Amino acid sequence: MKSLGSIRRNFAPWIDPAASPFLRFEGVTKRFGDFEAVDDLSLSIFESEFFALLGASGCGKSTLLRMLAGFDMPTSGRIILDGEDMSGIPPYRRPVNMMFQSYALFPHMSVAKNIAFGLKQEKMGKGEIADRVEQVLKLVKLEDYAKRKPDQLSGGQRQRVALARSLAKRPKVLLLDEPLGALDKKLREETQFELADLQYELHTTFIMVTHDQEEAMTLADRIAVMDKGRILQVAPPAEIYEAPNSRFVADFVGNVNVFDGTVRAATGDRVTIETTGGFDIVAERDVPVEAGQNVSYVLRPEKLKIAAEPISGPNVMEGEVWDIAYFGPVTSFHIRLDTGAIVKVAMVNATRQSPLQLTWHDRAFVTFDEDAGLVLTQ
Amino acid sequence: MGWRLSKFNVVSMVFGFSFLYLPIVLLVVYSFNASRLVTVWSGFSTVWYRELWNNRGLLDAAWVTLRVGVLSASVATILGTMAAIALARYKRFTGRTLMTGMVYAPLVMPEVITGLSLLLFFVAIDFDRGFWTVTLAHISFTMCFVTVVVQSRLVSFDRSLEDAAMDLGATPTVTFFQITLPLIWPAVAAGWMLAFTLSLDDLVIASFTTGPGATTLPMKIYSQVRLGVTPEINAVCTILIAIVSVGVIITTLINKRRLVRQARNERLAADG
Repeated sequence: MKSLGSIRRNFAPWIDPAASPFLRFEGVTKRFGDFEAVDDLSLSIFESEFFALLGASGCGKSTLLRMLAGFDMPTSGRIILDGEDMSGIPPYRRPVNMMFQSYALFPHMSVAKNIAFGLKQEKMGKGEIADRVEQVLKLVKLEDYAKRKPDQLSGGQRQRVALARSLAKRPKVLLLDEPLGALDKKLREETQFELADLQYELHTTFIMVTHDQEEAMTLADRIAVMDKGRILQVAPPAEIYEAPNSRFVADFVGNVNVFDGTVRAATGDRVTIETTGGFDIVAERDVPVEAGQNVSYVLRPEKLKIAAEPISGPNVMEGEVWDIAYFGPVTSFHIRLDTGAIVKVAMVNATRQSPLQLTWHDRAFVTFDEDAGLVLTQ
Repeated sequence: MGWRLSKFNVVSMVFGFSFLYLPIVLLVVYSFNASRLVTVWSGFSTVWYRELWNNRGLLDAAWVTLRVGVLSASVATILGTMAAIALARYKRFTGRTLMTGMVYAPLVMPEVITGLSLLLFFVAIDFDRGFWTVTLAHISFTMCFVTVVVQSRLVSFDRSLEDAAMDLGATPTVTFFQITLPLIWPAVAAGWMLAFTLSLDDLVIASFTTGPGATTLPMKIYSQVRLGVTPEINAVCTILIAIVSVGVIITTLINKRRLVRQARNERLAADG
């Protein structure tokens, strides 16, 4: 049996009809004056899920997180957490904690005091607080830094303290606002895996807001792609990437070639599309389409094969090598078709030496399998 | 940095500093004069400081000034901080522009007018003039200075710190006293110092609003000078200058220590 991506997931409550969601947004709208930040949005999130809200800045993802934390109240609609309606509950009485993008560590308190702050508000005993502080510091591997002040820590250490502080109260849901945004690239990659492991260990529900698709793909069980206050698609990372439900999602996540055209024939499990570029595409018919319908065919660059010699068969395009970029693991080609359209091809450098020798302005041939791309009707 | 002072720099500095400080130096020097005549030097002596200690009038005035200063500065700091928070935090409320204007108006209002209007007001409501009227008057004219100082700090205050505190379960009151106030504390303290200094310094408004038994030090000095400058006055002024100088030096040292600590922390953070 074929499945999307190469990861088999054992955790997938969203496909289980018997599972009931832990957190529900029901028709939530938020208006700031005339601006509609969140527009009639409904969403279900399950217990122990690592959920990512992905979108460009201004898409409403942060507003959604702030409404869940209680800093903003929805204009209409309800947020239900673990069976409890959150309407009118102030931030300091909600069983959620947030890790802020700027970390928001209290500069006048030591690391230990920062972490203890939330526990003190609960009127927890002194001994118990000390134990809990020690426990979460151990979790983020900062046992030796309890007495330091935030300005005596490096960026990565501050990020860990912020994480420890937001986990100390054992919230029902942990909210992460661009959790790795302030770290440099190398540190970000390391921290990504640590964060994923931590969530797996704790079984706490994590909701993350990010504009970085790679971060969302690595960390999340499911991703919601947002634009203009609406959710366009909610799905696991592999499905978002391999089976986007719209051109926007396909274009927002990763690189993509889009061919617009009309269905010429749809017979059996095959569909033939006459593209505006003048060539035909034969593809698998995995969505119901009719002859004459306007569709888009989306194709990820790494699903294309490139050759210097002519290739026979369907789905072959010919053009001129316009640009080449060598990234190490992959080499990226931009092929300019005779119609002027640019096709992006990514070749995986699976061996150290490549039989393919191409340079700028060479003629090149590009082909793909019938199941390489996706027919989209919207 | 091997740049040298040019002749022009030296000359302008000498003139500048002389213009600012020569009168003060003269005053300090003559406070140690043995002679009763202010302008004739006849040897070093601390007699006028001992005389001062026996001058009940001046000591009473100093005590009144101190009480008025501490009380009015403290109340003005509380009110001024509250006004600053209202103006910095609530960007839109009815009458905001009016309130901004009214908070800042005393900054540019001539003291004579402030003093006169307060006098008329106290007379109108039949309030016995004395210690309390001077204190109230000082609160009303120093408050705006506190607001200016605190508001400028609040503009650069990271609001997410307050969000984080509330997110961790702190009520708005706890958040204010445990997060906001400790962080804006230097500005609040600076506001208090400014209010205290202004109150200490004020002659015009105090003269208008005072009554029997509440003579402040500047008023006392002014009235004595009208009968002729005595070395005693020089001694009082020297003590005042000493107090202010010590205050300035302490503030500078605290600031310097903070900078050193900050640099050390940055090194520590870089070392991991």
